[in-house]
Amino acid sequence: MNTVSRVKNLRTFPGNRILWHAVIVGVVWLLLLLLNNNIDPLYSSYLALVAMYATAMFGMTILVGLSGQVSLGNGALMAVGGYVFALTSMNWQTVPIFGWPWNAVWSMVFAGLGGILIGGVVGGLAARLKGPYLAGLTLGLAVGVPAITNRFPELLGGENGLMLTVPYPEGGYAAASGFDSTDSAGDPALDPSLDPNAVVEEDQYAELDLSEFDQGTDAELAPGDMLTEEDLLTEEDLLTEEDLLTEEDLISDGGSGTDGVDSGVDLGADSGADLGTDLDSGLIDGFDSGFIIERWQASMAIAVACLVAFAALNLIRGRQGRVWKAVRDDPIAAAVVGISPSGSKVSAFVVSSLFAALAGAVFAQILSFIGPGAFGLGLSLSLLVGIVLGGRASLLGAILGALIIVWLPELVDGLAGERGWPEQVTNNAPNLLYGLLVVAVVLAAPGGITGTIRGWVDKARDKARSPLS
Amino acid sequence: MTNFIDYLLGGFSSGAVIALMALALVLVWRSTRMVNFAQVGQAMFTTYIALTVLQSTGNWLLALVAAFGAGLVLGVLVFFLVIRPVKNSDTTGAIIATFGVLISLQAAAGMIWGGDPEGFIPPVSNAGLEFAGRIWPVSWYDILVWSVTAVLVVGLTLLFTRTSLGLSMRASAFNPEVARLSGVRVNRMLITGWAIAGATGAVGGVLIAPVSTISPNSFDILLVFAFTAAVIGGLDSLIGAVTFGIGTGLVISLVSGYTDASNAPVVALVLLALNLLVKPDGVFSHHGARSV
Repeated sequence: MNTVSRVKNLRTFPGNRILWHAVIVGVVWLLLLLLNNNIDPLYSSYLALVAMYATAMFGMTILVGLSGQVSLGNGALMAVGGYVFALTSMNWQTVPIFGWPWNAVWSMVFAGLGGILIGGVVGGLAARLKGPYLAGLTLGLAVGVPAITNRFPELLGGENGLMLTVPYPEGGYAAASGFDSTDSAGDPALDPSLDPNAVVEEDQYAELDLSEFDQGTDAELAPGDMLTEEDLLTEEDLLTEEDLLTEEDLISDGGSGTDGVDSGVDLGADSGADLGTDLDSGLIDGFDSGFIIERWQASMAIAVACLVAFAALNLIRGRQGRVWKAVRDDPIAAAVVGISPSGSKVSAFVVSSLFAALAGAVFAQILSFIGPGAFGLGLSLSLLVGIVLGGRASLLGAILGALIIVWLPELVDGLAGERGWPEQVTNNAPNLLYGLLVVAVVLAAPGGITGTIRGWVDKARDKARSPLS
Repeated sequence: MTNFIDYLLGGFSSGAVIALMALALVLVWRSTRMVNFAQVGQAMFTTYIALTVLQSTGNWLLALVAAFGAGLVLGVLVFFLVIRPVKNSDTTGAIIATFGVLISLQAAAGMIWGGDPEGFIPPVSNAGLEFAGRIWPVSWYDILVWSVTAVLVVGLTLLFTRTSLGLSMRASAFNPEVARLSGVRVNRMLITGWAIAGATGAVGGVLIAPVSTISPNSFDILLVFAFTAAVIGGLDSLIGAVTFGIGTGLVISLVSGYTDASNAPVVALVLLALNLLVKPDGVFSHHGARSV
């Protein structure tokens, strides 16, 4: 068997395809975590926003790009996810589920379920509609759902919204409980306060971390005064840990990012001197530099985005993706070969609602707040803008769209600062650009960035293959 | 009972404006078979132009005429720059393009006039009239709104039923190919449709401005109401748009009166969803079943 056919087999056999997708997403996840840990926390907060938008836009890729339904309701569905997350994490924190303590992951699950439920209802309506009718109905959703919050001011906080205390990982704020960190498993946000590096890099955490470190390392390190201990740490710690990272870490950890996170917390508990056991913490080195909320938010948003991307990849490149495309391109022909057009439309709606709701839950955590203002028509429109500019029918297009949505206003802000534009120009310039770009893209390059580049590549390949050229 | 009558009377003005916006949507639908989601954006923009004219001259009628003219021009511009190039590609693209126009217009208005809501001084009193010993929720301004709407609706009806231009427009809406074969300049009819729609929306914007305030986003909700009315009316029926535009205004007024104004969009959404489930082609629709 030669290489080509082996690669072909890898691509066609579903199990291998899923494995392949897992590897791709895993590698991207690791790279993003590394990036997150090595950039300024300010950029981490942008990274969190990009990941959040990308999560929602993966749903738009499926709904608009693959299934061909223009929806403006995904901002409203994000609101559903955000409010479910906020309400469950605020009110149910003391309720154990199946014996497990409540945490953010449970709230995310409920947010997702809420999205599926509402998405199913809207999708059921949407399956009967097409084109402008659907766009109009979902437009009503985008305007109407935020208005519902005013109906239940006690529950939903009305116009002012709800402030929520985001369930940070154990030890995030209160360092005292830092050692009992087993229940942060699966959550890439870890126990930063345990690591001695924090002492070196972050002055404000120095005292807390040292006192904690004392508990774990009394035996090995002479419990002298603070200063000497700090010196010890700088010498030993950075050297050993960095060496280990290069040698063993990448090998042992393979493709899964979460494992590294789990064992990373062993460091403090095991022993301070024997840093050699902590192979994995090197991977997530940046997390150890004290608890930086932006980094935690970004790592959480990245985790959700990667899981959603994995699901979306498998759906789009599998049978369901072909079903969606078939119904989009010719519903009658699809019905003839035994595909239910309405079933396909509903499923696209439900999947995109699930993604939107998860993105909404992430958004609520990033903002630590949820209110109708954040989920208005503007949010829905920006999702549509992003997906159209990036490329309607590809996940990469969704990621590019998310980047544009987050980056363009910053670019304009910077320009405005240089040129001294008045505020009302600066505030509206990004939207004007979005609007004009959307029209231009629809007219000149309907495939968006990815679609256009793919078109060029295909053309070049055809030219190369053609014997006549 | 007096409450009920008050709410009902109060709803006629907003109903008239919703009817005008719905009419604009229907006119566009009849000419190009698409929904112009930028319609209220155009109306918002022309209302700002009217506001500028009003502030500099103090003449309300001049402002109305300015808005009307700007509406005609903007309708033609949007058609030429955006709709005609995109029309034959894909319906998804056309819908997205109108949203692109909406976003651009709102941003441009924000740049020029700022984002803060501005008042629009009505030409006649906006206070309730006193009659038969009590104050009614009807002002001279409401009566002006009704009259302008009535004039416009009657004018449009005459245009479509009594003039050769109207006949050509109906022909090209009914069947473009046959109309073209019979010598109708179909493209011109499409432009005319967009221009008239723009002007109708512009008048609606000027009429609603003193009641609500005007800001780049203040007409968004009007789009939902107008779309609801137009769809329930059948999207290609002028009578349907007017009837259900006023009807939507009344329902919203009742809902706002008895419960709370924030319920209005939800009620519009429910109405729209019910209609789309029960009679998706609308009540006054002419055309047959849609495929799939």
